[in-house]
Amino acid sequence: MGEDVVQVVWPSGKLIYNGKPLASRVPDLKGKTVCELYDHLFRGEEIFPLIRNTLGKRYPGIKFVEYEVFGNIHGPEEAKVVAAVPELLRKHGADAVIVGIGA
Amino acid sequence: MRASVTVEKAGIPTASIVSTGFLTQGRMVAQHLGMRNIPLAEYPGVILTESKEELQKKVEDILAAHIVRALTAPVPEDEAGPPEPGFRDTVFEGTLDEVQEFFHDNLWTDGLPIIPPTLERVERFLKFTDRSPEEVIGVLLPENREATVWNIAVNGVMAGCRPEYMPILIAVIEAIADPEFRLEDAGSTPGWEPLIVLSGTIIKELDFNCGSGVMRVGRQANTSVGRFLRLYMRNVPGLRIPPGGTDKGTIAQSFHVVLAENEEAAGELGWETFGVDRGFKRGENAVTVRSVLFSSPPTYTAGDRAEEHLETLAEVIGTRGAAYWTGVSAQFAKSHPLFVMSPCVAKVIAQNGWKKKDVKEYLYRNAKVPAGLAEKFARMVGISNFSFCEAVKEGKVPKAYCESTDPNRMVPVFFGPEWIEIIVSGDPGRNQSRGYINNQMQGAPVSKKIELPKNWAKMRQG
Repeated sequence: MGEDVVQVVWPSGKLIYNGKPLASRVPDLKGKTVCELYDHLFRGEEIFPLIRNTLGKRYPGIKFVEYEVFGNIHGPEEAKVVAAVPELLRKHGADAVIVGIGA
Repeated sequence: MRASVTVEKAGIPTASIVSTGFLTQGRMVAQHLGMRNIPLAEYPGVILTESKEELQKKVEDILAAHIVRALTAPVPEDEAGPPEPGFRDTVFEGTLDEVQEFFHDNLWTDGLPIIPPTLERVERFLKFTDRSPEEVIGVLLPENREATVWNIAVNGVMAGCRPEYMPILIAVIEAIADPEFRLEDAGSTPGWEPLIVLSGTIIKELDFNCGSGVMRVGRQANTSVGRFLRLYMRNVPGLRIPPGGTDKGTIAQSFHVVLAENEEAAGELGWETFGVDRGFKRGENAVTVRSVLFSSPPTYTAGDRAEEHLETLAEVIGTRGAAYWTGVSAQFAKSHPLFVMSPCVAKVIAQNGWKKKDVKEYLYRNAKVPAGLAEKFARMVGISNFSFCEAVKEGKVPKAYCESTDPNRMVPVFFGPEWIEIIVSGDPGRNQSRGYINNQMQGAPVSKKIELPKNWAKMRQG
């Protein structure tokens, strides 16, 4: 006698994907204003100054707006801080943003 | 990634620094936030174990180049994913063994056999709710998928639940879908696991265990509902360990069975039940879902005075247990310790005239940790410059954490009596308690009322 055959359904749910276009990249970083966003984790206090120093040597006129200006993007105030970021970036004339640190 | 996506939407290019081990998770989170092709800047290695020299070399030689590429190089087009099954679609037809293999291959199981979710079985679950199967409870991160009454029933079937558990299952998913719970952080490296606490008359009615071995697998109700939640977290929000990519629990832990309170025992002591503490009426059916990061040892206490018990609980569960996470909790301004006391321990304390609020006050006042030690533990987690005084300055914790800057000063393990929760459960014949420590703001306790269908009594009879 053969085993019973059953038909089964999917255990997951509809994917809500609203694809959004990325921002245009910059041609290079010479003379550009680069802002920093930091989650206050994983040695960003050491990593961001090293990045500033390295890119500063390679790209004349590059300017950095340091992460303290924007607040902690991961924590109890995360939603409020992140919501305020676009306006602050505009205020500081950001051309590009470095976000860290995911580890 | 949430900040990066916000910035890209504002029209400014980003480079998101991610260490090697977290690239897959980063990509998946970005994908579900609507930017599958967002460029990441890889840091090659484990940041917290590198020497200063290694870190400097990798930033200068590798990471800087990755950042430049992310900000300047053209990015590939966003490609749509493959089509997915629709509501009620049959996704497979086969024997019991073939169904198991198919579900394992698609990462739709927890590694244990499942009950095949046939339409007939799912419909049996749906009879135990008045809500429409199409109803969307929420959209769950990280995969950004709809939680529906339908897929709750499907996963309930798979986990081995009985159809009459359905109202509880719905309340559980309502709890984790609440933004306060922060389900999106359930794949974080500490590897916390949700715990369902059950309150109300439904405990007895559906035969949940609230006595000996309450936290052990073995009773169908406690076990299958506990399993359901972990299975659901894999299948809908997509929190899967490898070969999945969004659950990054470093070592992690497995699912908890449902913790049900012995409400009769609590009532006999003159204590409010946990359900009442959470804002429900006595006997009202409700679930509270919260994270558990770690639990204390089984803590034995003896004597006929309340202080004899509480002194040891403060020492073992507080100072020698929860204190490890006090710094991290302070950084995120939340901590929700849960004390589970067997009825005979709670009885001694209550007979001494102590109410729950007195117990919480005692535990708050007597569990202390050297500030410098807790700060060191937090820094090792990755909060590089953590200090309690900074946390006080930012309004995250009370002033008691920064009465001086002496690293040897003693600070409270718990933020205040109001943060501590107590449940009476476990073997009434043994003098034991246990503490369950949550993961700061991740998996904060969320309670939801269990809504029974109008014809509940009739259905239970028939």
